[in-house]
Amino acid sequence: MESTGTTPAEESTTTKGRGRRPNPHVAQFLRTFYYLRRNGLAMFGLAVILILVGIALYALTLPIPTQSLAFYCGTNNQPSCVPGTQICTYPQGVVAPGPNCYQTPVSGGGVSSYPSIIAPTFDLAHFSGGPLPLGSLTVDPSHNAFFNLYDGLLRGSDWSLIISISIVLSGAAIGAIVGAVAGTFGGLIDEVLMRLVDIFLSIPAILFVIVIIAVLQVLPGFTSFDARIGLLVIGFVLVWWPFYARIVRGQVLVVREQKYVEAARACGAGKGRIIMRHILPNSVYPVFIQVSLDVGTIPLFVGTLVFLGFAVIPTTIGSGIFPEWGSITATSVIPLISLLTTCQFGQCIVPWWQFFFPGFALFMFAISVNFLSDGLRDALDPRLRR
Amino acid sequence: MAAAAPTPTTISPETPSLAALLPETLAKPLSEGTAAQPEAAGPKKQPVVLDVRDLKTYFYTYDGVVKALDGVSFKIRRGETVGMVGETGCGKSVTAFSVTRLIADPPGRIVGGAVLYRGANVLRGLEHEAKFKPMKGSNRVKVRRSFRRIKASQERMVAVRGGGIGMIFQEPTSAMNPIFSVSNQLSETLLLHRGDEIMDTLLQATPNAPERRAAFEELADAVRSGQPTDNVRAAAKKVGDVLHCPSMATQSFYTAREAIAAGRDPLPLLERAVRRLRLSRLARSYLLQQRRLIALQKELNASYMQEMRDGTFDHSQRRSIRRRRVATRYRGGWLSIRGIRGRARKPLNEETFWRSVTLLEGIAIANPVQVARSYPHELSGGMIQRVMIAMALSANPDILLADEPTTALDVTIQAQILELMRDLKERVGTATLFITHDLAVIAEVAERVCVMYAGHVVETAAVRDLFRQPLHPYSQGLLASIPRVDQPEKQLSSIKGSVPNLITPPPGCRFHPRCAYAMPICREQRPPTTVEGTDHTVACFLYKGPVAVE
Amino acid sequence: MQMWVYIVRRALLLIPIIIGVMTITFILITALPTGIRCVSYFPIPRSGDIGPTGPCPGNPSQSNCPNPWWTHCVSVLGLNTPVPVQWATYMEHSLTFNWGTVNLNSYLSQHSQYSFMAGEPVTTALAQVLPYTLELATISLLLILVVSIPLGNLSAANRNRPIDQASRVMSFSGYALAPFLLGSLLLMAFVILIGASNGWHSLTCPASPTYLEFYKSWPAQQCFPGGNYPSWISNGVATTPTGFPTVDAAYHGQWVIAADTLIRLILPAFVIAYGSIAGLLRYVRNSMLEVMNLDFVRTARAKGVPESVVINRHAGRNSLNVTITVLGLTFATFISGFPVTEDVFGLTGVGRLLALSIDIPFDYGVIFGSVLLFTYLVVAANIIVDVLYAYLDPRVRLG
Repeated sequence: MESTGTTPAEESTTTKGRGRRPNPHVAQFLRTFYYLRRNGLAMFGLAVILILVGIALYALTLPIPTQSLAFYCGTNNQPSCVPGTQICTYPQGVVAPGPNCYQTPVSGGGVSSYPSIIAPTFDLAHFSGGPLPLGSLTVDPSHNAFFNLYDGLLRGSDWSLIISISIVLSGAAIGAIVGAVAGTFGGLIDEVLMRLVDIFLSIPAILFVIVIIAVLQVLPGFTSFDARIGLLVIGFVLVWWPFYARIVRGQVLVVREQKYVEAARACGAGKGRIIMRHILPNSVYPVFIQVSLDVGTIPLFVGTLVFLGFAVIPTTIGSGIFPEWGSITATSVIPLISLLTTCQFGQCIVPWWQFFFPGFALFMFAISVNFLSDGLRDALDPRLRR
Repeated sequence: MAAAAPTPTTISPETPSLAALLPETLAKPLSEGTAAQPEAAGPKKQPVVLDVRDLKTYFYTYDGVVKALDGVSFKIRRGETVGMVGETGCGKSVTAFSVTRLIADPPGRIVGGAVLYRGANVLRGLEHEAKFKPMKGSNRVKVRRSFRRIKASQERMVAVRGGGIGMIFQEPTSAMNPIFSVSNQLSETLLLHRGDEIMDTLLQATPNAPERRAAFEELADAVRSGQPTDNVRAAAKKVGDVLHCPSMATQSFYTAREAIAAGRDPLPLLERAVRRLRLSRLARSYLLQQRRLIALQKELNASYMQEMRDGTFDHSQRRSIRRRRVATRYRGGWLSIRGIRGRARKPLNEETFWRSVTLLEGIAIANPVQVARSYPHELSGGMIQRVMIAMALSANPDILLADEPTTALDVTIQAQILELMRDLKERVGTATLFITHDLAVIAEVAERVCVMYAGHVVETAAVRDLFRQPLHPYSQGLLASIPRVDQPEKQLSSIKGSVPNLITPPPGCRFHPRCAYAMPICREQRPPTTVEGTDHTVACFLYKGPVAVE
Repeated sequence: MQMWVYIVRRALLLIPIIIGVMTITFILITALPTGIRCVSYFPIPRSGDIGPTGPCPGNPSQSNCPNPWWTHCVSVLGLNTPVPVQWATYMEHSLTFNWGTVNLNSYLSQHSQYSFMAGEPVTTALAQVLPYTLELATISLLLILVVSIPLGNLSAANRNRPIDQASRVMSFSGYALAPFLLGSLLLMAFVILIGASNGWHSLTCPASPTYLEFYKSWPAQQCFPGGNYPSWISNGVATTPTGFPTVDAAYHGQWVIAADTLIRLILPAFVIAYGSIAGLLRYVRNSMLEVMNLDFVRTARAKGVPESVVINRHAGRNSLNVTITVLGLTFATFISGFPVTEDVFGLTGVGRLLALSIDIPFDYGVIFGSVLLFTYLVVAANIIVDVLYAYLDPRVRLG
């Protein structure tokens, strides 16, 4: 993984411009990309990620809903309630169970029309007896709530990516700094910092996040929407940085022993120059791999937290569900378990679409980052490269 | 952490020879297959054991195709030591690996040539294993490999590697598996290549021979009275003869010595040692099962050799061998369970342990029992290299490929190793291909030399002829660059230029950019190998002898 | 001798980690308001009694008498002392297993599965449910090892061939499918499949006479409460002498129940394992690829050892060392899967207790207790892994 160790023989065969020495980083990047291209799965993953990022960028352009929509049912003849049951039917034929039927928009609502890719608009159904009401979709404009599943998916891509990226980048930055310091200086600093990293790593990730958020939630100042999002991010960053510290330190230790560092020192390079020019650029490759992995798995963690009943965004603020993929999936999956006891077989409608689409989106996101990061790992590791 | 005491620099007469301790004769008759080669010309000429013809090995990398070997040919005759010299990067190690097909398959690929061992072409079926497609716009080539065929050819190599062609490598400290003990790894080789003899010995040993008591007494007396080691060994050998088990000779020798040194009576300990030869029914059935498996493997190897010879093999025979192998394993029954198998294996393990101790004695290691029990990380580099040599030779190969065995060791150890190899060569008679970059070593060890440059063999000659009269300009440059003690004023000369890039090697003769005598034709055509004297060939347009016949 | 020295050294290194973890929980606990801290340690004598002042005993309408409960709590927990003293007090409480009391009032009143009541020490509650988690953990771990090690070896030996791609896709899908999603879907599929057969309404409400015949100790009309898998605590199964339901059932000779417990654990173990196989498989594959490039593998091939033996014996055993080390490192991630899986399948274990305690209102005693417990599990696993590693690698064993 040397960036400064190209043999003179190679230059004669791979010059890009005549008479100009090729930038070794560019050459390294191209070589990595060549190996990556040979890996079909990684290319598929890259394509999917690009599509998702495109969707997220499109979602950024969506207008924040400006008008609250009140839904009501029954008397206005739309949708109609089947008498004697708790079942509403919509004109399009979608059936949704629940004691409170859904209400249609009041006239004059500023609803922008969405192209229906998935189906006619699905509203999130309301389960009877479910532990967490999925809300009656009273949209509070200041909190970016969503109209329907399709809308939720779009905005969810946004929120998922923003949360993941901010968590991962902060965690990686902190961890990389700690790891680099520990690795470069060694000795007592190294021991102390590594003990700290070990301590943090001994606590299982989800549990640590739960504890942090549980404690900080009851403190004053963490009641507004933005504060809660910030709390989520802080909780995850506190848990995630040790992974990066360990990776970076390991890599720094290896790079420190390389011959070119020794050669640089023998040539009289100062410590700062050695760190900046030789050690750091060669130590960050594994961080890329881990970053790409973590970006995909953080929404899963958020979903797990919501599933456990941990109200990330409590229901007292805005509408019931936070438009984030993991959150939507989890809230849709929770009532499934109780369906097993209260439903007799064949008589329950399982609104599979509610957890399937966000879950599928989550799954595709996570698996494509996995493919990509695995491909990157294979491409970057010289021992595995063939 | 090396636990070994310093070993003697010469093999003293009292250390038994490897040949003497291994129960059978070592020089295998080369009857099979050599009739195909009408080589034996003069009265001194031995038959050819390894015939490498036009070997081409390329490495397909991101930067292009590295033409590491581009038509290498040489012959090794029985019993002779051929040296291979050249600078770093000229393809010497690649040659050795190509002969045994140990080239890392992506990215490397043997693309052409033939390696004939005992009439069998190791590289048979090469052209079907991969297809090449050059990519436009760069000098990369896309390789499509047929994994099935490659795997099949690697399986065939089991018939040749170890027992036919042995190898020792450059870095001894990393050459042995760190988690298995030395005796474990030696035993593995012994079982692979001599398993049938070992099992036969165990099965027909006589642990209850009545004469053993007298033999024990004699041995104990010999040790107690402080007789020279030769006599003690003779007494121990008698014990082994009585029990019909040669490894008992070694075991009784060390047991007796240890007992007397500790002041105890050796006889009960010797009796206890003999107990391992009394096979339980479980052990006996296990040995019989393994014996059958080894016989089946031999059949399979013969079939592989035939396939490498003719290109055809008997499908039904192979299937029947495999079927019989599965049946033998299945009939093993209880033996498949791990714990029971451990108990059944115990006599075999002990037998191979003492045989490995015998082997270690043969390479002049002072405390072989301790070394056999230790792990590779506890031994020094020189010691491990000796062990590797013993391991390679215990399989009784026809050829030994020594890939720079002494480069990683310091000079005194190097001298010991070379001494050892020379002595073993005299006793055992294996042909050797000695690869090195050190001309002095070649002068010590080799009888003939091949000089390689950038993937071509530029000159082959007897050692004396090469040193006295190097023909190729490269060999002349090599020999001229050796500093001479008796001419201190002479300026050190070197060959101008540097080693070429093997992705885009110079056309024609690869040495021509650095050659003082370069002619226009050298840039265009590759010089043919011409014969310039008895056994002296050279590839240079300066010489106009008859072209060598392949 | 060397090995014991190594083990003791590694164990000593873990003491600062334990102290550090407890310090972190101490920092978090100190951030909590006093009222909440006290509630998690001492059962509230009367509702509405939280606060430094409370109703006067003589005059209930007056509510500014100093609250004895509050002062008692403050003095025991040392909440008015300087921070280092508080730390020492907290350490003492933690080390003497004085972790607070259980407060899950609403849940415990509904479910009779647990034999502890609100107000009992957290350690009792945890001790009761820990064996279930350990059983689940053992089975999951076995599943993970049995799948990932051979599959990883196979993947490495056939690099980039179909088996490699397939195993990678499978393991990645395990990584990408959140355990809650996978568990719920599998449970639903299972129930729907089984529910379709005759005599079963659903998995949790069997009506088949043969089934009831087996489990005579259960009231026939009882559908399992809360839709959960049967809890062995409340169904008369002995929990002596070890506390592990399977072991105890076997001890008392009730083989059918023991087998049934194990079978019921297979699906949750599969869900947990499926998430963890990805990481381990990748490590096994990569370490195996690394090992296969090493010199001694080439030596083994040159000796004439058949390829399968080279891969399994020479390369495989060496990569096992790295695998065991990584197993220890991934234990923390593996443990993370427990709360969700236990919640989905309704198993009574530490994870479920934790999941219950984070429904509002929080039960901080249980939260901190279970987190500490899980951390100690991870630390114990690390020690075991170190011991295994020392045993497997002679370079460590002999020095």
